[in-house]
Amino acid sequence: MVDQVHKEFRKRDLLYSVALWLLSLIIPDPQLHYRREYRFRKRDLFYLLSILLIPLVWSDLHFHHLMVLAGIHGILALGLTLFMGYAGQISLGHAAFFGIGAYTTAILTTRYGVPSFLAFWTSALTASFFAFLIGRPILKLKGYFLALATLGFGEIFLVLVRESSGLTGGVIGIFNIPFFSIAGFMFDTYLKQYYLIWGVLIGLVFFLKNLVRSKMGRAFLAVASSEDGASSVGIDVARIKLGAFVIGAAFAGLAGSLFASVMSTANPEIFSLNLSVLIVMMVILGGMGNLYGPIAAAIFLTFMIDGLSRYQEYSLPVYGVILILLLIFFPDGIGTRLRVRLIYLISYWGRKRRREKVEF
Amino acid sequence: MDLLYPLPQLLVSGITFGAIYALVGLGFVTIARASQIINFAQGEFVMLGGMITFFLFKGADLPYPLAGLLAVVIVVLIGFILHLLVIYPLRKASLPILLMATLGASLVLSSTSALFFGTLPKALPPFLGSGPFEIGKISISPQSLWVVGATFLVLLSLYLLSHRTFLGKAMEASSTDPLGADLSGIARDRMIFLAFGVSAGLGSLAGIFITPLFYVSYHSGILIGLKGFIAAVLGGWGKHSGAILGGFVLGVVESLSVAFIPSGYKDGVAFMILLLILYFRPKGILGSPFIDSRRW
Repeated sequence: MVDQVHKEFRKRDLLYSVALWLLSLIIPDPQLHYRREYRFRKRDLFYLLSILLIPLVWSDLHFHHLMVLAGIHGILALGLTLFMGYAGQISLGHAAFFGIGAYTTAILTTRYGVPSFLAFWTSALTASFFAFLIGRPILKLKGYFLALATLGFGEIFLVLVRESSGLTGGVIGIFNIPFFSIAGFMFDTYLKQYYLIWGVLIGLVFFLKNLVRSKMGRAFLAVASSEDGASSVGIDVARIKLGAFVIGAAFAGLAGSLFASVMSTANPEIFSLNLSVLIVMMVILGGMGNLYGPIAAAIFLTFMIDGLSRYQEYSLPVYGVILILLLIFFPDGIGTRLRVRLIYLISYWGRKRRREKVEF
Repeated sequence: MDLLYPLPQLLVSGITFGAIYALVGLGFVTIARASQIINFAQGEFVMLGGMITFFLFKGADLPYPLAGLLAVVIVVLIGFILHLLVIYPLRKASLPILLMATLGASLVLSSTSALFFGTLPKALPPFLGSGPFEIGKISISPQSLWVVGATFLVLLSLYLLSHRTFLGKAMEASSTDPLGADLSGIARDRMIFLAFGVSAGLGSLAGIFITPLFYVSYHSGILIGLKGFIAAVLGGWGKHSGAILGGFVLGVVESLSVAFIPSGYKDGVAFMILLLILYFRPKGILGSPFIDSRRW
């Protein structure tokens, strides 16, 4: 009986399969990391071209600005997805590393006149240095307690920034940070900044794509699935977790440096718990263990927040409600479910009619 | 000028704050004993308790006790609704998702209360309208005595609820061994539902007690909630007595720290304590029934 259902093929199914093929070009495969080596696929070309061409086609200044923000959020989410999605830990203090990166760049460029390209790398180093310092004691915790400890680190960072006003400008923050420049070329318009940030992001994606397929990347997955199992096959669990934490923090430091030199300001309001929550939401909505998902979720959430901000004081409650609804209906990421659900939706009517024809 | 002069005064205010942290921590412990969930919206119950009492007392001209009672009832209802709309649909979800959902709920509650009650900080008059009285050189406001006394009453009733009644034992069973609780016919979801009501009630009581002591505004909930959680971890996660002890220790240490370091760092002290206790003794001062048996 069931075999009959599958053998039947109708002209309409051709339509479905074309739609499915088109979908498979755009929507990432949720199980990408199970493939051993990385191939440059058609959908990668599609993403690359669309990132390159979109700001030229849609040359709206506000859109460019939003895409710059989305790119920075994307870098942050990429760093955290390594720690959360691959290594299976949780961090609610990622905004602190973002802040450390931003303040490093701000202080170095405004006080000491360091070129911004050098400050860019120094920020990543500083952020990963702090991650290394606090990582050892914190990472022996798990679950809620890890979340709380990282959250505590974020709060301590905020308190320190607010109070040491000689160094960081206190509550007011630091202004007039020079724009990012390499060898005299200044990134001063939104379009240039767009290409700068998305260029960095693409580079980081390539780095991560190789990393998660390396020995270390497989160790991340092993630690995420079972720490006892991982240590029994000779993986140094503490070192692997620390590695994921430090690399994630370095990414956040890069993002913070870019943020400071693009927005030319840094103040403690930006690096609060809300930002950490936002980054974790990006990773969850993008799907765990998936590199393109967090970037897509970063773009989605950045545009959603901008869309909501028109409604003034109603924006925050609506934002919270949307977050909860997304968590309830897409608990393993929008992308993951979307593929399954769209395939289901597209083939739904055909299957339904077929099922009605089969008689028991 | 004697350097140690303000110390006793700081001690008194520390004990008052400690009682508040203990009440908030008890709210966390109540839910954790029933379900292993940590509800980050706990601080919002505190804020809502204060805000709604203020609204009923000043806006609707109700007598003080009635306003307080109504506020507790309303916040308990909000706790029930929170469970039904957020926690229950996510009962099978993994940890980060539950965590983010309660953080989202906390965002919704705080920003909605900003919509309803305005963004200005609010303060209630003290329960009995007399000024602070002095013992030696220390001035004590009667409100502090109310807070400390009420905390002990609440602790006593919670202790009786969880150790002497069938309901409390069922709640604890549904946390320590979910499968066993299911097999012995305990409706686990109903237990978690009730635990959310109890903890919302505790939170709103804390809110009513502190609003006369300092200004409460729509965004002060999250910090109070976090400190209550730190208190619960410090004393011993999952123990009522631990939450009480941790609350007083945290309140006193935080208050005394003002004497030695600039007061701007006061909020950082609590989180420093959290990091230290998690590193050196994760099961807290009194030990924890949860952390020994399973690895967190």
